[in-house]
Amino acid sequence: MNPIHLAGRGLACSLGLSVEQALATLRQGGSQASQVTLPGAMAGNYPFQGIPYSQADWNERARELVQRVAAEAGAQPIRDGVLLIATSSFDIGAVERCATQMDYQAFADKIAAWLDWSGRVHVVNTACTSSLNALLAAQALLRSGAAADALVLGVELDNRLTLGGFAALQLLSRTASQPFGAQRDGLVLGEAVAALRLSTRDPALWKLAGGANVVDGEQPTGASVRAVNEMCARALADSGAAADSIDLVKVQAAGSPGNDAVEAQGLREAFPVLPPLVSLKAAMGHTMGASGAAEIALLTACLEQGVWPACGHEMDAELGVGLAPAMPQNVRRFMATILGFGGSHASVVLERA
Amino acid sequence: MTTFAIQGRCLAAPPPLDWREQLARMLGAKPRRIGNWAELGMYGALSCLADSGEGELPPDALLMLGSQRGTYVSTGQVLEQMRDDLPMPLTFLQTQPSQLLALLAAQMRWRGHAGFVAGGTPQALLQLASAQCGRAGMLLGWVDEMDGGSSLWLRLRPCEVSGDKPVVASAESMFSLDATHLYVVGSGAQAG
Repeated sequence: MNPIHLAGRGLACSLGLSVEQALATLRQGGSQASQVTLPGAMAGNYPFQGIPYSQADWNERARELVQRVAAEAGAQPIRDGVLLIATSSFDIGAVERCATQMDYQAFADKIAAWLDWSGRVHVVNTACTSSLNALLAAQALLRSGAAADALVLGVELDNRLTLGGFAALQLLSRTASQPFGAQRDGLVLGEAVAALRLSTRDPALWKLAGGANVVDGEQPTGASVRAVNEMCARALADSGAAADSIDLVKVQAAGSPGNDAVEAQGLREAFPVLPPLVSLKAAMGHTMGASGAAEIALLTACLEQGVWPACGHEMDAELGVGLAPAMPQNVRRFMATILGFGGSHASVVLERA
Repeated sequence: MTTFAIQGRCLAAPPPLDWREQLARMLGAKPRRIGNWAELGMYGALSCLADSGEGELPPDALLMLGSQRGTYVSTGQVLEQMRDDLPMPLTFLQTQPSQLLALLAAQMRWRGHAGFVAGGTPQALLQLASAQCGRAGMLLGWVDEMDGGSSLWLRLRPCEVSGDKPVVASAESMFSLDATHLYVVGSGAQAG
């Protein structure tokens, strides 16, 4: 079985319009969240990590961001490969502006046309875990030999439906995202377009070793301890890695009072000795279906260039876990986890090639 | 080429007139505020599993769901609600197709790999799923609300047997009573 390399990556998020811009912003301590105002019973301002790129037309903005990110990932030569679009909100922002109809296939066709894509296209929506599930699907296709190249494209752009829905469920923070924090009070949502180019042909610094997704119906809007545990075990088994060989875990931890606690307990049970942990949610917000791809794009770059996200808030001692204040030495293998709506718990393992 | 034996199916397109009553009997109670699309999906999936004769879905089986338009009705309702207020929380949840995966997992007392693929065709869904599924096979569904609704499900297990004359599958032949096996090749799915 040929190794599956992370041959390219691209990112647009609140930290900047490229991986390099995002790293530069992180070096300077991060970006300031903007504010969005929502109507009704939960009316008020909520912090939001939007992409710093203005364009009045939703579709034009999306097109420019998608093309920019795909180009950064080096997608142009593999346009006859597999394209896996990962999203939880499709182009609902354009629907809200009456700029399009809600139609899954039209959304897929639109993005394929923007990229002049001639290969297969699939749209994966498993809420927040969409990108990681797209990555697992790409891995399966590449392992089977059905394709040699794949592009996982996470797309999560401005829309009122997601913000309003999360506000209605009382999941949003009014202040800031504080992963595993003592004062954590909810999520801060964000935008991202992120691309991960996978290849069995092009060698690269990182390879995708394996992963797993576990859906558990115990708690449809959140995580369960047993599923976190099982997700870790399955991801390790699929990767051929032992728990003590994981040098770092990029956690979901978005600052949710309940979910952070569940994740912490699950990780403590899954790892006899807990590896160092990192969360990118305070830096870029929770970018929903794009978060898996966006956070892997950023984290691999951080590890290569020695940049580490600042963590200025106090940890919740009762959780029994904490975020690494500085980059761990010699990270050769890390696990990246996203937990989401629909009882979905997904994790992948990447290692240096 | 991978061959799958069809071990169970539900071909409800449209579903029978009493499908809601049948679903309530399978669940032990009427489903509450999960939305019409999710109810259709649950009806088909549980009927298919019953048809397969399996009491439960194995933990290493794959649950894969696709749809042409998915939760568009609930999404339209939420957009309407959001003209001057926040959406109702449960209505917002109905816009998330992955909620059906969690509902099914809970009802089947199952934990495993499940996913939702938006758009495309049932054949493309089968191709993607076949790359991800192991020896326990998959429960594969295609659910839509348009035109009276449809809930099409197959319980598929990989097998060695191949049919005499596989033909390139259309959605109609994949989801037909005549097909006994499905064949997945590099370029698409075939039925036989």
